[in-house]
Amino acid sequence: MGTISQIEVYRLISEARARGERVVAATVAHTRGSTPQRRGAKMLFFEGGAVAGTVGGGCIEAEVWAEARAALRSGVCALHKFSLTADEASEEGMVCGGTMEIFIDVWGSEQKVTNE
Amino acid sequence: MSETVNPEKPALASDLILPEIARVLRAGEIAALVTLLDAPASPSHSGAKLLVKNSSEHWGSLGAPSLDERAAAQAVSFLASRVEAQAFGVAEFAPELIEWRGARVLCERLEPEPHVVICGAGHVGAALARLARLTGYRVTLIDDRAAFVARERFPDTEIHLVAASSGWTQAVLEQIGTGRGVSVAVVTRGHNEDEECLRAVLSAGPDYVGMIGSRRRTNIVLERLREAGMDEECLRGVRAPIGLDIAAVTPEEVALAILAEIIAARRGGAGAPLSAWRREK
Repeated sequence: MGTISQIEVYRLISEARARGERVVAATVAHTRGSTPQRRGAKMLFFEGGAVAGTVGGGCIEAEVWAEARAALRSGVCALHKFSLTADEASEEGMVCGGTMEIFIDVWGSEQKVTNE
Repeated sequence: MSETVNPEKPALASDLILPEIARVLRAGEIAALVTLLDAPASPSHSGAKLLVKNSSEHWGSLGAPSLDERAAAQAVSFLASRVEAQAFGVAEFAPELIEWRGARVLCERLEPEPHVVICGAGHVGAALARLARLTGYRVTLIDDRAAFVARERFPDTEIHLVAASSGWTQAVLEQIGTGRGVSVAVVTRGHNEDEECLRAVLSAGPDYVGMIGSRRRTNIVLERLREAGMDEECLRGVRAPIGLDIAAVTPEEVALAILAEIIAARRGGAGAPLSAWRREK
């Protein structure tokens, strides 16, 4: 599963919203040290279980997956911080560890408001 | 609508921004999508969005007009930096907004998918196509000799192959489109082909255009276009000879020098060794 273009990301989100479904977008908001993905990398999670894109492999992706699934049910957006230990980092083929902040964003959440 | 919206159904506010994002991407425009990451004082605003084209044109809202205005200004300077995505604390760019202290926003750059269009599928063009693909660019390879752009030569189906059966001009114009996000390398087999391609490329106005050849050979082509009345400003922007100076010899090395220049142009790099500072004293 590789990266996907921006046009594809927003096409997929729009299509799911047109079907009345929620979509969770996990985005790498901040990185420090060696991390498996660049800032701005995105992974989408759909209600039917489908996914698209990637925020980096291995250990982090499993945790992001769990948070995204929870957000699909709850509709709550949240910022999550993940640390890669040196051991985990070396398994990912990196020199040293780092931290990643990943924003779990829900498109189609009832909680979203834009005005005070 | 070019001002912040005030939706009647706030629960679906983020949906209202989707058609606008799609429009920006379809038109090949550049914009920043600003998302409120966390707001300790009003957690329910987390995920609110503001789409910013420039300081006076934005859509959506992060939760308050005062925050939107300052975030839009921050997004405009973020766009100028060419960074893909960056998080900012509201306190960094709007310390006076005390009620938003501790809140952070994520700026994401929306831009056309970077696309490398290669005119000429000889040794250099073929190597450049494979290298650009490896780097993650969308790649289009054009040649007027159908055998040179046959699928057997490029098993990677992500490399778009175009046989310019009706001439270079038509093929080049079709593939460059609006020119936004497009880098063009003119690496054909001869003067006449280069000239025809370059003429078409310059009328389309891509982000980057370079042409292969010695100084002498590229001068001849540029001089002919100048005599034909091509705009001087346009001609000055042509990278000819194409590529960064890495003393490339083989076609693959030349392709690498070209791709390095395309990346430097897109990301704003100087193309100098990162270690140069160690010896400057």
